[in-house]
Formats: sequence, structure tokens, C-alpha cells
Amino acid sequence: MDFEETDEGTHVVLAPEGKFNLVAAPPIKARIDDLVAAGKDHLVVDLHAVDFIDSSGLGALIGGLKAARQQGGDLRIAAAGDQVRAVLKLTNLDRILAPYATVEEAADGW
Amino acid sequence: MAGDGTPREDKEYVLEGFAVPDQLDAVHALLARAAGEHAELDPMDVMLFETAIIEIANNVVEWGRPEGDVRWKFTIRVRGDEIEAELDDTGQMFTPAQGKEMPGEDAEGGRGLPIAEALLDKIEFERLDDTNHWRMVRRLGQAPPG
Repeated sequence: MDFEETDEGTHVVLAPEGKFNLVAAPPIKARIDDLVAAGKDHLVVDLHAVDFIDSSGLGALIGGLKAARQQGGDLRIAAAGDQVRAVLKLTNLDRILAPYATVEEAADGW
Repeated sequence: MAGDGTPREDKEYVLEGFAVPDQLDAVHALLARAAGEHAELDPMDVMLFETAIIEIANNVVEWGRPEGDVRWKFTIRVRGDEIEAELDDTGQMFTPAQGKEMPGEDAEGGRGLPIAEALLDKIEFERLDDTNHWRMVRRLGQAPPG
């Protein structure tokens, strides 16, 4: 999976594409860890181009969220599609990873 | 179908190959092909079934040994009121931890099988000779989760 990365100054936007699965999750999680370690701990994962997520993708998001919060930052998700929203709800993860409609809304206040 | 005098044969959609990460896309494609030929299927059912069977496929890809050498066969059938997938793999004997609760919010793993169980009406596992056999069924036309 390819993912784009945009540093907006106050936060970094990561935009994976396609299937956020056990193939794609490790490199994204590794990149999140690198960013957090470098002090870039306000992150938005833009999911508009993700058409499928599995438990590995969820794990990467939770791991990234925990890493960011441990440094005083946060990780938020934006533009999740139907499948992603359904899986977040099923796993109760929508409580800590509330999907924002847009990247701009996710980063509001940062 | 009952009543029309011509019992309908369930068409099977079959995928055979190695249980390796690259082949997960082929599982998605197999279900897409089945769904494409069954316009009556609700996209929500397809999406939730896909989510479930991929978690089981992931399990085989991740834990099946010898790694990279495990072969699998996926068979998908669409019936009037349900969609079914059977998965046979040649990996080592395996005992799935069925019936576990969804892990807590902080957990980074352990959700695969609970997700599949939540989205399927039947999930059966047995060891047959040298093969692990999964049978996964979702009844069609139910409300979405939650």
C-alpha cells in the first residue's frame, strides 16, 4: 500500500490508499512511530481512499493513537468509508477513534 | 428454488493457491466476482461477509506453518438466504480460540476472530486428516452490526 504524507506544520496527514490490512499496516505503524519520535505527535490519518480495513489496520491505528498520546499528542481519523465505520463500531473503537468527516475537522484546534 | 420445478445448482467460486499475504487480494477478488454475478446481494451483506472471511484468511496467512508453504482452497457459494465460504488449508493442526470477547479499546491485536464471529451466523472449524477446515456462513438481509 502506498500512502501520502503531508506536513501541515501543526500536524501531519497520512493518507493510505486501498486496503489497510496486514500487508499495509506495519509500514504505516512504523512511519507513525518515527513521526512521533521526531516530535510530530499530532496526526491525522485520512482514510478517504481506504476501501477496506482489517484488524491489523485497526491495530496500527490504536498503536499510533497510544504512541501519539503518550507524547502529549493525538491521532485522529478522517473521511472513513462505510466498511471502516462499520468495523470501528463493531469493535467499539469508534469511542476512542471517532471518525471526523474531513481532515480539516479532524485537525480543528491544532 | 422450491416451487419452480428446477432446483437451482449453487454456483461455486473457487480459489486455490498459497496462503501468503499477496493472495489476500485474490480472496477479495473472488468474493467480488461472486457478488458481481449475484446482483440480488445487498452490498452491506457482501461488505460484512468480506470483513469476516478476510480475518479468517489473515489468521491462516499469519499463523499457518510452514510459513509460505501452506496451501489453501477457498470456496464461496451464494444461496437464496445465505452466503457461505469454506476454507481448507494445509497448515499445522490448529485450535482456534473461539468465543472470546472483543478485546478492550487499548488492545492492538486479538480482534480478528471476534470480528469474524460477530459478523457470521455460523463459523465452524474442524481438523480433517491433514487439513484445517473452516466453514463460514452469513444469513442475508440482517441489520448491520450495532
